[in-house]
Amino acid sequence: MAAFDYAEAPLPIREDLPEAHRAAWASMAAPGCWWSGAERVAIAEAVRRAPSCHLCAQRKAALSPFSVDGAHDGESLLPGAALDAVHRLVTDASRLSRSWVEKLAAAGVSEGHYVELLGIVVAVVSIDAFHRGLGLALEPLPEPLAGAPTGYRPRSARPGTGWVSMIPVGGAKGDEADLFSGPTAANVIRAMSLVPDAVRTMKTLSAAQYVPMHAVGDIGWSEGRVLDRRQIELVAGRVSALNECFY
Amino acid sequence: MAAVTQGRSVPSGVPHADELLAFAEAIVAGDPEVIALARVALERAMGPAAVVDAAAVAGNFERMVRIADGTGIPLDTPVKLVSADLREELGLDRFGSARETAPTTAVQRLLGRLLRPVVPWLARRMMGRRERAG
Repeated sequence: MAAFDYAEAPLPIREDLPEAHRAAWASMAAPGCWWSGAERVAIAEAVRRAPSCHLCAQRKAALSPFSVDGAHDGESLLPGAALDAVHRLVTDASRLSRSWVEKLAAAGVSEGHYVELLGIVVAVVSIDAFHRGLGLALEPLPEPLAGAPTGYRPRSARPGTGWVSMIPVGGAKGDEADLFSGPTAANVIRAMSLVPDAVRTMKTLSAAQYVPMHAVGDIGWSEGRVLDRRQIELVAGRVSALNECFY
Repeated sequence: MAAVTQGRSVPSGVPHADELLAFAEAIVAGDPEVIALARVALERAMGPAAVVDAAAVAGNFERMVRIADGTGIPLDTPVKLVSADLREELGLDRFGSARETAPTTAVQRLLGRLLRPVVPWLARRMMGRRERAG
């Protein structure tokens, strides 16, 4: 059976959703720039364990998320600092900090490793949330593909916005020419551009789950959707506010 | 807009806002029983395809908030200017992640009010135009 076969789902699911989800799964299984396929799938496994992790629950309840030490629930082949990053991104992302990301680098999780890890975390979180919303079982994780990470880093990526290096506005050229589809690019589009495929997966998922990037500024857009744009933005805004996301 | 931060306690003027908000809130909270109740209510109000759309959007923003929070990006300058009054009204500046964006000065706030008529154009510039074939 193909991944994300929604034929038996109790609700009719438009075809662009499983297409986007399959693309994210296929990308996750393959070696990336900084992590192997097995490590990338291990990141996804950790995403699914984090919501029930006892250490994460203690940290979430603490005044400072950095005041509670311990071990996360479950075995993982990931280095400890990477596993910790996954759990924090899933359970307490709004309390992360620049100094924490800098300490990750010192612990062996370079900014390239971190951005790629983030890209996998957010893809799995969004797809799993969709499944939970519809009462569907979570999709089994893909079998990892063999191969070594490429170590690719876009030449134009540089620090200056946020906590990690990004491709600057106007800097998406050559192999990255497809990343930003306009003359400028919002910070949230550039945020993961240190790992270009993370941006590509984000754009694919957003086009199916929310609104295609080119239509974000079109307040009348609701092509192929039952919800109108106001209803889409109401859900989007409420989820963001509950997550205490300022952006 | 206040419904974004205050939920169903305030009217939004958006059709079926109560059902949509309850469903979004349930997905974020993660209790399967509460999600199921909210899903049924939304399906009764708007039909099954609306439930799928809403679940997809909610999932999407569980992703986008973590990208923003995980990379410490500040608000884009045009957004910062034009949204200053709205952020204050909704209390968004109290969120921890707001610390990555410098406070808005009085001059910036004034400039933001002047820029409001061109917000849709700015949004299209920032998020990209439709790629043309050929």
